[in-house]
Amino acid sequence: MPEIDDNAEAERTRSALGAAGASGTWDWHIDSGILHADAQFAELYDLDPQQAQAGVPAETFFSAIHPDDRARMRIAVAGILGGAELFSKEFRIVTPDGATLWVHGRGRSFLDANDEPIRFTGLLVDVTERKRTEERLRIAQSAGGVGTFEYTDGFATVAVSDEFCRLLGLHPATSLPVRTINNVVQPGDAPLIPQPRSGIIPDTLDGVFRVSRSNDGAERWIARRGEIIRERSGYRLIGVIYDVTQTKEQEARLLELNETLEMRVEQELTERRRTEEALRQAQKMEAVGQLTGGIAHDFNNLLTIIIGNVDAVLRRFDVSSDPRARRSLENALQGANRAASLTQRLLAFSRRQPLDPRPTDVARLLAGMSDLLTRSIGGAIAVQIDAEAPGLWRVEADPHQLENVILNLAVNGRDAMPDGGTLTIAAHNHVVRDEDAPASVPAGYYVCISVTDAGVGMSAETLARVFDPFFTTKEVGKGTGLGLSMVYGFVKQSGGHITIESAEGSGTVVRLFLPRNLDNEHAPAAPMVVAAQGSPSETILVVEDDDDVRAYTVGILRELGYRVAEAHDGATAVRLFDRDEFSVDLLLTDVVMPAMSGRELADILWDRQPELSVLFVSGYPRDAIVSDGRLDPAVDLIPKPFTYLGLAGKVRELLDRRPSRT
Amino acid sequence: MIPATVTLGDLERDALTEILNIGVSRAAANLRKMIDEQVTLSVPSIEVLSRRRAARMISEREIADLIAVRQDFDGPFSGRALLIFPETNSLDLVRAVTGGELSNDQVVEIEREALGETGNVILNSCLATMANMLKRSLTMTIPEVLRGNGDMLFEVGEEGAAEGLVLFLYIDFAVRKRDIRGYIAMIMGIPSLEVLKELLDEFIERVVGQDA
Repeated sequence: MPEIDDNAEAERTRSALGAAGASGTWDWHIDSGILHADAQFAELYDLDPQQAQAGVPAETFFSAIHPDDRARMRIAVAGILGGAELFSKEFRIVTPDGATLWVHGRGRSFLDANDEPIRFTGLLVDVTERKRTEERLRIAQSAGGVGTFEYTDGFATVAVSDEFCRLLGLHPATSLPVRTINNVVQPGDAPLIPQPRSGIIPDTLDGVFRVSRSNDGAERWIARRGEIIRERSGYRLIGVIYDVTQTKEQEARLLELNETLEMRVEQELTERRRTEEALRQAQKMEAVGQLTGGIAHDFNNLLTIIIGNVDAVLRRFDVSSDPRARRSLENALQGANRAASLTQRLLAFSRRQPLDPRPTDVARLLAGMSDLLTRSIGGAIAVQIDAEAPGLWRVEADPHQLENVILNLAVNGRDAMPDGGTLTIAAHNHVVRDEDAPASVPAGYYVCISVTDAGVGMSAETLARVFDPFFTTKEVGKGTGLGLSMVYGFVKQSGGHITIESAEGSGTVVRLFLPRNLDNEHAPAAPMVVAAQGSPSETILVVEDDDDVRAYTVGILRELGYRVAEAHDGATAVRLFDRDEFSVDLLLTDVVMPAMSGRELADILWDRQPELSVLFVSGYPRDAIVSDGRLDPAVDLIPKPFTYLGLAGKVRELLDRRPSRT
Repeated sequence: MIPATVTLGDLERDALTEILNIGVSRAAANLRKMIDEQVTLSVPSIEVLSRRRAARMISEREIADLIAVRQDFDGPFSGRALLIFPETNSLDLVRAVTGGELSNDQVVEIEREALGETGNVILNSCLATMANMLKRSLTMTIPEVLRGNGDMLFEVGEEGAAEGLVLFLYIDFAVRKRDIRGYIAMIMGIPSLEVLKELLDEFIERVVGQDA
């Protein structure tokens, strides 16, 4: 039991306390209710020092305490009076001059033999400065989001601030085990507090750590800064931590933005280059198309005359005639036909070829071509046709042109295999889905027709140019360089796509993707009707600005037995039509004419006679009767140059199609 | 969230801290008599937490397993009181109260009994003081010693755990120059805490009077 009744000892204690900066001491005699206090205490409390030392009522203890702290201090003193032994409180007192001071009251109670408190002694220390400093530090920490820590090497715990705990999601504490703090740091990162007694004094406290906050698991970046204080036995760390997640995220976003920016610019440039390239190609094709189309138009007129007249002479030849002259004429006709097919290809390439698309069964078409293919490819090449016959979808395409295209590709395949081999022509249904659509074929339902050879193949440079008109790898005189351009033109004009795959020495595969035709109608079998005669009761009005072509056409029709009226332009034709001398059953008109086009003429005459049959003739129909490269429905067209049989068949077909006039 | 009806105000918290300070002081006086050595005990602060939070907090602060003395109390307010030490400190405590003359094996042997007795003194003093200061009476069960982690001691995950709150006190224990850190926890239901809060208000009224 402590005994401090010895006044001399109490005096020594007091003077020692005064030297230590104590502001005052008190000695509260609980049983008598008297408070004794020293001079400093008396000064703080505005008491007479003599009286204070002699004793004042115990209640005086509360007199100088700030009103806001008084209740709290009454409770604390009640604890002591009730039996608590230790007293340690900070509170404010108001001095006689009105200043408010923070003091730390530290004391204890003394118990009698029955464990009842008899005295309560203690000292008051002015801690105003420290309190302000603490307050500034606290505000600096909470406002700045900075947590402090102090760690002495070798200790298991770290002294920390509330803000330190808050930053790491830990419950506020004044000290925490090293392990608890380091557990918050993500695996793989260095510990926030060095392992005790690791024997290594850290070089710096600067560092950034990834943590998973203990309370909510949030991942944050925490920076650590501070000082390392070397002490004789080791070191002490005094430092701060603060959250740098936002900065880190901004850095990451900026970095990502930078990276993707470069990528996006690159993509944009590539896309632009591709578009420019496509535009240049389209312009080139368009220019070539204009040119070839124009040439083909005039050329077809000339060929019509040549073929027509040679044809006419040949028909008048009989067996007794000079066989050499006949052979010469036949050669001339063959040459002219070749020229005609050349202009046809030019038109096909320039996509000005009038197509007559209809639902087409590709399997049937290939089966029908089998003989032709074997004959024209034949020899050392085996032709294999492989079509999913029953299930194959229909496509909408001009069957004659499609045959032409396939034949063309087959011939290319043959030429690629000088030493023989197998040429495979296959057709199957093909669905391209959005997610795996290659650049060249958009998603959709197609019939894919492939022509595969096992030939010499092509280099990448060749491959890049195969669709260019007049580009050929064949020897001079062997190819026109229009084959693949024509194929390309046809496929595009039919709403399809084409791919070509080849490598030197390993053959070539050309694939045509033609859109599936969803109409249910069956492809009409279109057999060519042979020679169809007319009668003088059927009147045909022929309108053609080229005198030679008109004469040829009129000649054929008269020979077939029709009654024919002719005009060299639209205006004459209208006058003739209005003359009432005869009723016209069929108008056969050129499309491209000065002043009034064939289409305009037809419109005028249809006004007068809606059921009038009209057959357009053209070597170059432009847009007059063709939209999107396809014939307007209900428009019939015969391309120049035409043959005797071709014209006869078409005219008969139209006249027979009229509602029967009984 | 802790319901407003049981959230302790500053003065209520101070009052409870002071009452428990009286309690641990009584306990220290009793221990002094038992072992004839200077013993001081103090309660610097108090917190009211959910059980889960209390379990998490103690696991943040104590790496070692925990050892606890448990007593249930019943009266106007009822609950379960725990005196908790980190296991490493508990042997120190046993050595301190037994005077340090025992071998390690002997310390381990009597650990349970010594802890149970010490815990009983401390918890009894605290609860008796509470009853006395709040002018009510409480009954207590005999002490049990248990080991485990925070979740186990605070019965996190058991039925009704969401309801109960924990009055959490730090306790500084100085004996024979050893400083031993421990905790006192009182697990109480909301109705009991409401009663306790009312009784604390009455106590404050008595003590503070016109300065309230």
